Amino acid sequence: MLTRLFVLIARIRGLFGAARLDDDFAAELAAHVDLLADDYVRRGMTRDDARRAALIRLGGTVQLKEQHREDRGVPFIDAAAQDVRYGLRALRRHPAYSIVAVATLAIGIGAGTAVFSVARAVLLRPLPYADPVALVRVFETNPLKNWTRNIAAPANYADWKARNTSFTDIAAYEQFSENGSGAGDVFLTGSGEPQGLKALGVTGNLFRVLGAPPLVGRTFTDAETFEGQARVVVLSYGLWQSAFGQDPNIVGRTVTLSGRTYDVAGVMPADFFFPGRDVQLWLPVAYQPSIFTTARRPHWLGVVARRKAGVSLERAQEDMNGVARALERQYPDTNTQMGVRLERLHDSFAFAPRPALLMLSGAVGLLFLIVCANIANLQLGRAAARAREIAIRSALGAGRRRLIRQLFTESLVLSAVGGALGFAIAIAARAALLRFAASTIPLHADVRLDAGVVLFDAALTIVAPLVFAVVPALRSAAAGRLNDRGDGAARETRALRNALVGAEVALSIVLVVGAVLLSRSLLRLEAVDPGFDRARVVAFTVTLPSARYPTRPDRLRALEEIERRLRAQAGVQAVGAASTLALRGFTWTGDATVEGRAADDYERELRHKSITPDYFRAMGIRLLAGRFLDERDAGDRPLVAVVNRALAQRYFRGEDAIGKRITFGRPQDRAPWVTIVGVVADEQQDAMDKAAQPQAYVSIRQQVQNPMTFVVRSSLDPSAAIASARREVQAVDRDLALTAVTTLERVVSEAMGDHRFRTALLSAFAGASLFLAALGIYGVLAYFVSQRARELGIRLALGAKPQELFGMVVGQGLRPVAGGAAVGVAGAIALTTVARSLLFGVRPLDPPTYAVAIGVLAAIAFAACAIPALRATRVDPLVALRDE
Amino acid sequence: MGGSKSDILQGTLDLMVLQTLEAMGPLHGYGVARRIEQISDDVLQLNQGTIYASLLRLQQRRWIAAAWGTSENNRKAKFYTITRAGRRQLSAETEHWERIAGVIGRLLRLAPR
Repeated sequence: MLTRLFVLIARIRGLFGAARLDDDFAAELAAHVDLLADDYVRRGMTRDDARRAALIRLGGTVQLKEQHREDRGVPFIDAAAQDVRYGLRALRRHPAYSIVAVATLAIGIGAGTAVFSVARAVLLRPLPYADPVALVRVFETNPLKNWTRNIAAPANYADWKARNTSFTDIAAYEQFSENGSGAGDVFLTGSGEPQGLKALGVTGNLFRVLGAPPLVGRTFTDAETFEGQARVVVLSYGLWQSAFGQDPNIVGRTVTLSGRTYDVAGVMPADFFFPGRDVQLWLPVAYQPSIFTTARRPHWLGVVARRKAGVSLERAQEDMNGVARALERQYPDTNTQMGVRLERLHDSFAFAPRPALLMLSGAVGLLFLIVCANIANLQLGRAAARAREIAIRSALGAGRRRLIRQLFTESLVLSAVGGALGFAIAIAARAALLRFAASTIPLHADVRLDAGVVLFDAALTIVAPLVFAVVPALRSAAAGRLNDRGDGAARETRALRNALVGAEVALSIVLVVGAVLLSRSLLRLEAVDPGFDRARVVAFTVTLPSARYPTRPDRLRALEEIERRLRAQAGVQAVGAASTLALRGFTWTGDATVEGRAADDYERELRHKSITPDYFRAMGIRLLAGRFLDERDAGDRPLVAVVNRALAQRYFRGEDAIGKRITFGRPQDRAPWVTIVGVVADEQQDAMDKAAQPQAYVSIRQQVQNPMTFVVRSSLDPSAAIASARREVQAVDRDLALTAVTTLERVVSEAMGDHRFRTALLSAFAGASLFLAALGIYGVLAYFVSQRARELGIRLALGAKPQELFGMVVGQGLRPVAGGAAVGVAGAIALTTVARSLLFGVRPLDPPTYAVAIGVLAAIAFAACAIPALRATRVDPLVALRDE
Repeated sequence: MGGSKSDILQGTLDLMVLQTLEAMGPLHGYGVARRIEQISDDVLQLNQGTIYASLLRLQQRRWIAAAWGTSENNRKAKFYTITRAGRRQLSAETEHWERIAGVIGRLLRLAPR
């Protein structure tokens, strides 16, 4: 055993300092010859004869040295190093081929690695909590309200927590928005400009349910869920760094948030986040205990639970179904048909981006296959040119295995260069993805190019040649006999190349159909009227701290003062404010009853907004009937509302909505009647691809809300308009900050950002695949023409018309294209139905899409065929015949 | 690069080299080759170069060691010496060889009957 180890060590050492060892052995052999010659001279030979005889007696020194070299090192590594050297030399000798092959590989591997880095961050990387698999999100469901994954009412949460048998504990956090993490804005004051921060209200047990201990200090106690405790806050690592200079004595330090003081209880570790990376601090919800017993409406809590060991998701779901049914019986008023849905926490984080990411992963996989097919095709094309070289090597004694290994190593060298460049592409792509796809990449994902991504890149680098080099290598090695240069092999190679072209075309068609479907949906989406005029309007949110503005009149006064000051600014045409802005994913909803309807016929999810009277003019929302709200609609006047077209159509179809009455409550609630005084055009609400739902607008003078979002229509450019708005807001109260600052243009554009991003990416993939397919078609046909130049020349000499030859060659080239296209269309039909959820206004089997895809492909294929076909018609018959 | 036939030959040659170095003390490659030819009364006509494959093998196994020195007629040459491990290997191999040789000898004597 030990001896084997010694041999191995000696051989590995033999790999290094080869030149020195070679010299040493050469000297030893020279000494041998001298000694032997000395003997011969002593026996009477002349010096010259003696040397000659000695050399013969020793045997061929070249072979001896070669053998010595081989025995000295590790044979496999030596041969591999030789293959690599040879491979690099071969690449340098054919720069055009090498550049094309390396570039395509780099694109294929780079795109794959980039998409993987995102998919890994979003779908694969485990969450930074203890035993994250045991964590589940708990949602309310309700078919009456079209809820499938809704946030929960506090009293329902409290009953779930008390009555379940499946969870060690259940925690909750305030979720006032679907956009981002649902965290609210608070203002850190005390040093210069007030700083807007994302703060999340949580129950005291949240960090324990997550199994996330703090880095410094403590997290919250169960008692801190309720009001009456000292006010405390837990900071994120990032905030601790940026706002507090990583102060080591941070615990116990007092901070002022939105006018209230808090003690810092602790700091979370750097890799912790919940539920998104945008949250900078966590506060206890500090509710009155009665909220957890009475508030079954409205719904604002995100709920997360930890399964007990050994309790499956299915069992927990059954358990919770039972709890929900009991609540339904107990509180029919609020809980009719109210169910529960459990989802693994990780799945719920990745819920929105998953379909798009899976689509992109699939697309990038197809692109990778096309890249491999293309390189296989290039290599087959080169194999003909290399046949001589291979035959010579084979004649010189290289075995079939050795030849295959050498061809394969060459491919691996190619792929390694491509993989390295691909990683560079992935680095660039990451930056671009984070810039343009920020809304597709959810807030929990941290896209990093770490060891895992490097490994993936390396894996693709190794897999690529396995896919693209095996067939050409086998073919080349088989053709590597001098006597086997017949037409049979050439014909087989051409059939193989045609098959590869067909495959490339088929894969491309799938990508092109996908890209066209997405592009058509995007066009449809961009044509959707948002219902407001988005040009030259800036928007920002102002939150009035309840510490400074405790009563409704206080708030109303401040809001109207801000609006008045904004309106007085130069260049401002209209100013309004609303409790929520369109397309930002969050809106207030509640029950509503239309006068004269049956007792159980009421609207359960009516959207409502509190606005200042000029909101409609600032937004550019058209009045369809009646009047806008105005200054007269104050708190002491009759309650009035403006409704949107969707509401008027649903409840007053064919009648005049003006003068009709509704209440914001169920019939039995006996809420006051509100008279409809106007109907306005629908503004988009949750997303551009969803139809507007019934919505009512009331004046803030009759129903004040906080926070409010201001919209300012101005002739100034956005940054100037914002700067002047900030001055005016802070003139009213210097501790107020503007948050969610944006323009309506951007709101609309961001609402389509995901769609635009995946369309752009898939289109890029489709374009690359078409280019590669065209390259493949061109390569095969150009080779065909060059091989048959003589025949073509003779045909021309015998009077064939150039256009006939052109047609013949193009026909030859298009044959594999037609086959591939047929297969590709079938594949596209099978695959695109999966992508239904990503489309808008277009069906997966949209005939124009298929027509466009096939048309584009046909045009490109024809162009790729036309160049060699034209060359065929210009073959000089004389030259062709002279060669004969 | 080697079927079983040459393996046997290799092994035999290695044994002869070890025995030569054991008997003669430090020797250069030519000396080893010359000595083996002399002992065999020139029955074994080596391609003398093959001795070096054997010397490399034995070195890699650390049964012999090598160092440059000066020959009797004042030429620089590489001298090989048997190591302690080499001696152990030699005695083991010798015993093994004698046993095999004995068996083969008996077999061959039996054969004519």
